[in-house]
Amino acid sequence: MSRVAPTPRSKVLYFFCIALSSFLLYLDINYKSFESTKNLYKSFTISSSYLLKRLTIDPLNYIFEISKEKSKLIEENKKLKKELDNSFIANFIISRDSKFFADDSAIKRFINLNNINKPFHLAKMNSFDLEKYLCCSEHRMFIKIFYDEDIDFVGSPVINSQGIIGQIIYDKSIAEVLLLTDISHVMPIISKNHFCNAKGSGKPGVITCTYSKLIWPDPLEIGQEFFSSGMGGIYPNNILIGNVSAINIIDDNNINFDVNLVADPLQSIYVGVVEGL
Amino acid sequence: MKNIGIIKLLVVIFMTNIIESYIAPMLIKAYINIPITFLIFSFVIYKSTFNTNALYAFLFGLYVDLISDSPIGLNAALFSMMAYVVNSYANTFKLFSFIQICLFFSGSSVFYIGFSHLFINLENFSYLILFTSFIFNTFLFLLMAMLRFYFPSLNLK
Repeated sequence: MSRVAPTPRSKVLYFFCIALSSFLLYLDINYKSFESTKNLYKSFTISSSYLLKRLTIDPLNYIFEISKEKSKLIEENKKLKKELDNSFIANFIISRDSKFFADDSAIKRFINLNNINKPFHLAKMNSFDLEKYLCCSEHRMFIKIFYDEDIDFVGSPVINSQGIIGQIIYDKSIAEVLLLTDISHVMPIISKNHFCNAKGSGKPGVITCTYSKLIWPDPLEIGQEFFSSGMGGIYPNNILIGNVSAINIIDDNNINFDVNLVADPLQSIYVGVVEGL
Repeated sequence: MKNIGIIKLLVVIFMTNIIESYIAPMLIKAYINIPITFLIFSFVIYKSTFNTNALYAFLFGLYVDLISDSPIGLNAALFSMMAYVVNSYANTFKLFSFIQICLFFSGSSVFYIGFSHLFINLENFSYLILFTSFIFNTFLFLLMAMLRFYFPSLNLK
């Protein structure tokens, strides 16, 4: 059976649909008009996946567990007890709430080492689009903060045991973290007397900076360390951000360089949210 | 595969999107991108015995935008464009060989990758990804097209 080519009327409809799509795309990219809808959908999918797991996999696991022989259970219990003791020795935090067994000692160590006086709250990574992180410019992470009181964490820095990974830009049931490598992220960094506004490169683990030799005549070296300046009012100052990995000369006066970040957001599923500075 | 129902297609696209989100991070290390969701939709409208409505393609695109966290309107526009092209050349395709059809689909997938990267990855736009994806997709489609000759039972009805 043959298919008829689109009639002039259907061509108009196609044109209308493409024009409408372009308009929606323009609204979304320039004004983030559909951000709340997307976040609502993400919250819904994450919540429903938890609910589904609780309703399907967890009961099945429970049935499987109770069907085991008693001796096997005792053996398992002993093994678990031993693992629990080991985890105590390794300074694992056992909390009364949902952050059970979450290890925040590494983050505490980082906080103490860098003299950050603000309190921090442990959070767990809920969703991370690895596909977008590896291929595209938008680098975001969704976390669940273990904190009962109603505090707005928007603008709070997010850290892991290696360093700063980003800041919270949306905080409802699930908090959205804008990573340092996202192209819309800008962070003031400093090295000796040198100051620069580092922009996310869209590549995993790399931020980029452009400066003029006229205001910054000192030479830049590969491996030179850059720290947070604290001038943006978001991040604490003097935290190691990364090392210079590549230097590109744009023209006689302007130089662009890449900084390899020391903190990898994929290092741990647990992160710390430092209360707004 | 001919004239698949809307609910069935919604489920298929949802599942495909999940599979794509698992496969893409592995393939991108080799500079390869396969837009499986887009290709499945394109294949469905290609195999359909009747013309796809523009609104049908547009709404499916919006649905993919929502589930894949793309900018709203990106897939809607691309799905509508693809539906228009497939419908316009539906009868011409019958004169094409399998190789030409495979080249058309891999060309479409490269157009999709290039167009979407203009919006979501402009800072790191890579021609290498487009080139390797085109080569890889062409061979992949050729392989899939040849499978039906060696395994007639796999032929999609």
